Amino acid sequence: MKKIIPYNFKYSTQWRGYFTVLILFIFTNHIFAQSDTTKKLNEVKVKSATMPSPQAIVPSQTITANDFIKYNAFNVADAIRDFSGVIIKDYGGIGGLKTISVRGLGANHTAVLYDGVQINDAENGQVDLSKLNLNNVQQITLYNAQPPDILQTARAFASASVLSIETLKPNLSAEKPYLITAGVNTGSFGLFNPYLQLQQRLNNNWAVVINGYTQNANGSYKYLVDDGLNVTTQKRTGSEVAIQQIDGALIWNDVNNKLNIHINYYNSDRGVPGAVVSHTVPATGQKIYNRDLFLQGGYKHTWVNGLQLLINSKFSQNQLFYFDPHFPSSTGVLDQHFSQREYYQSAALAYHIKPNWSVSYSTDFALNNLNANLVNFRYPTRITLLNVLATSLILGDWTLQGSLLNANIDETVKTGTTTPNHNIYAPTLRATVKPFVDKNFQLRGFYKYVYRVPTFNDQYYNFISNLSLKPEFARQYDLGMSYNKSLTGFLSYLTLTADAYYNYVTNKLVFIPSLYNGYTQNAGKVDIKGIDVGVKTMANLSSAYKLNLSVNYSYQQALYVDATQPDYLNRLPYIPLHTVAVNAGISKGKIGVYYNQVITSSRYYQDNSDPSYLTPAYGVSDASVVYKTLAGDNQFIISGGVNNLFNKSYEVVRSYPMPGRSYRISFQIII
Amino acid sequence: MKQIKLNYILIALAFATMLASCRKDKTNPTPETPVAERAGIYVLNQGSFQDDNSTLTYYDYTTKTLIPDIFSVANTVPLGDTGNDLGIYGSKMYIVVNNSNVIFITGKKTAKIIKQIALHQPRSLVFYKSNAFVTSYDGTVSVIDTTSLTIIKTITVGHNPEQMAISNGKLYVANSGGFDPTPATTVSVVDLATLTETKKVTVISNPISVITDAYDNIYVLSLGNYADIHAGLTIIDAKTDVVKPSPTVSLAYNIPIYSQGDFVYYPTADKKIAVYNAKTQTLASANFITDGTDIATPSAISGDPQTGEIFVGTAPSFTTNGSVVAFDKAGRKEYAIATGITPGKIVLLNK
Repeated sequence: MKKIIPYNFKYSTQWRGYFTVLILFIFTNHIFAQSDTTKKLNEVKVKSATMPSPQAIVPSQTITANDFIKYNAFNVADAIRDFSGVIIKDYGGIGGLKTISVRGLGANHTAVLYDGVQINDAENGQVDLSKLNLNNVQQITLYNAQPPDILQTARAFASASVLSIETLKPNLSAEKPYLITAGVNTGSFGLFNPYLQLQQRLNNNWAVVINGYTQNANGSYKYLVDDGLNVTTQKRTGSEVAIQQIDGALIWNDVNNKLNIHINYYNSDRGVPGAVVSHTVPATGQKIYNRDLFLQGGYKHTWVNGLQLLINSKFSQNQLFYFDPHFPSSTGVLDQHFSQREYYQSAALAYHIKPNWSVSYSTDFALNNLNANLVNFRYPTRITLLNVLATSLILGDWTLQGSLLNANIDETVKTGTTTPNHNIYAPTLRATVKPFVDKNFQLRGFYKYVYRVPTFNDQYYNFISNLSLKPEFARQYDLGMSYNKSLTGFLSYLTLTADAYYNYVTNKLVFIPSLYNGYTQNAGKVDIKGIDVGVKTMANLSSAYKLNLSVNYSYQQALYVDATQPDYLNRLPYIPLHTVAVNAGISKGKIGVYYNQVITSSRYYQDNSDPSYLTPAYGVSDASVVYKTLAGDNQFIISGGVNNLFNKSYEVVRSYPMPGRSYRISFQIII
Repeated sequence: MKQIKLNYILIALAFATMLASCRKDKTNPTPETPVAERAGIYVLNQGSFQDDNSTLTYYDYTTKTLIPDIFSVANTVPLGDTGNDLGIYGSKMYIVVNNSNVIFITGKKTAKIIKQIALHQPRSLVFYKSNAFVTSYDGTVSVIDTTSLTIIKTITVGHNPEQMAISNGKLYVANSGGFDPTPATTVSVVDLATLTETKKVTVISNPISVITDAYDNIYVLSLGNYADIHAGLTIIDAKTDVVKPSPTVSLAYNIPIYSQGDFVYYPTADKKIAVYNAKTQTLASANFITDGTDIATPSAISGDPQTGEIFVGTAPSFTTNGSVVAFDKAGRKEYAIATGITPGKIVLLNK
């Protein structure tokens, strides 16, 4: 066993002065904003047959709130698991860590935006998607490279891909100035998840939205263990969750101004059951406590001459406590505290020089720091300055976009030596063309050079700090097509997308374990070749029955290609060659029945492509039923779903068994 | 349709497995002439922490066959998570599997389980007069009677004990305290007649590896505190239990140590195997390896006292399969055996 990091019991002094900061922020920061409401509103045609619009300049995949039930989705990770090129790394269960990997790149290469502003974790660089509840989500879009709009925060340009989460926007009238949505999810794992949303119109332009939920579950589930002799059923315990989240939003919307301000507090206590290994009972009693607060605002102004301004601000404080009651230290427990803060300010301007030619400039400032009660901790503070120049040009059937990002990262530490400053230029080029008379067909391609900086954990968490770490670089090349046709007749629409891509990663940041400790290194190069294919359609089986079908296929071949490394020409762990996701559903008026199937081929769990290190292929099926009805002015939605319908035993991450069959029932009323 | 696809994948997988197995056979070494009484060599591979893939590799000198994991072949069940130590005593083999909280006692030639003893976080193993001694991170040394195969006594020592050595009727236990913010700095001395701790000797912070020589010396390698205290060597005189003047050594963060004849072998920070003369208490050689063989990351050192050979386990990146490289007494590479991930213990089996 590798030894774990030493620590001490110094309690965080974070909260001192905390409220002062918060209040200052509220009263001094007048500039908040709403990123791109106009664009989104156009896309949200939720009422009738929603034709997806994949003809963005970059590959993108979208799921809207109405579709969550089709995927029997409970959190953001569930909702996007069918997306092409996406792998969700899942430690299992309701509170298990779930992170996204897009096109073979690590989770740190995907930026998760919440209403246009990145959810940033300077400590780990990864967002736990299980923490993102779907209650308040209107739409989730995954963009390869970056979103198509050139009026964005600079951060939106600074990742290999962007997962954009848009919250619900009120659509109220003077006649009915409020909307109340209340509901409850319950079922397996002892889940009890009541939620409430209140939308209130203040006047023509102003509204407030308040969302809150609690989620409690014992998290227990059954799984099968095959020890080579016998197959036995075991019960996963120590995975209880207690979560509360509240989000308040103030929204202002008129012809020229869009503003939103969010205040969000997330509080969770989660049990983290240990790895399931042979001959012993998995450890229980380990807990992760999250106390996350953020305040964010977005403001967008459009002048009559077409000049657009986008301002985004954010303050966040994320506290994480890790507690292990059975730790072999002299105190017998491990009690680690981490507290990180971010102060973030972004401004962007876009201008149409000509109707077909626009330019933009974005600048972001972020200050991140981390406190931890670790011995010899260095208390790092990182200042990130991002500047982006972008332009978009439409020439007949061609659309061309280019952007250049400059990133400047400067770090200071309270004790010890600091890391060198990083100054990076990262360009992106994108183009689409409609070469044929049939304008439904489009070719697209992009090149993007992007980086990911070492996280605070990479640099400071371990016994041996590696301060000479360089950023990891990824070059992405993509060539693809989309065909998107609206039809009348048997099929309502048909969309086809196909992309081939090549990603080349250098200076890959890898954690090198060792006999008694471990540390992160820039070790090696990675070559990823892949294909993403998607088909989506809706068929009118009869005047009443409608069939929805979507099929996604991904091929990913990710290889280590540094001949000086021992993993040379081995496949990267946890990246399957083949993934197939099929979603089909039949709806008739108020009732819909849906089926989802994900098939993943075998993956290596080590850096060594030895067959003994394979985790088996699996196929997992989910099914759901939804019934919607109106009673008076109120809408009722009742839905039920089964995850892992055929009770398959499988693992996504080695030693972390996934749940067998589980059920969920939801009831919602909209007043 | 989905079913078919899955089947294809499985078939492809089966082929891949076969191909890979074939490939593995080709890597079999052809050792020159091991001593007649040696039947083969066991290599205990730690695997990756929490990946439950510790394996026991066996290479047979007579049949020249390599079994990547003889334990799972003999027992059907896997060895478990992070096998940390292995020893042969009498007709039996003892395997300490740290994170699986178990000690397996097997036939030494069959590797078939005779008994398994549950012990929380067991680490290392030594034998003395019909007893096996096993350290546990709980701060104890368990005494196993090698006849009844039961724990007959538990001796309390310091925090997170690691390796042990026996000299002069005493057991020396490295108390690492490696789970504490400030590691421990002692070696416990246990009187083997009374099975009680009699003394704690102060050594360099975070002691891990312990070995004895033919001159009643105890060599302790410590990791230090990763800050101002560097990894280093402390030598204890087992006659007096006092620390002797010890040489300053430059150690890496993997610190196996091995003593054979008059010499003590340990890896240095510059990826060499240093040789220390136990008799004269001076450095005999800065590098045992004379033919320029790169041993990457040494994770284990062992040898054959009869031939003077030295075996070095290497763990490239600790996430890919490793190897054991055999050197003749002049430090020239003889052959290599393919192993699993992080070979941590190398033990010869006699016929």
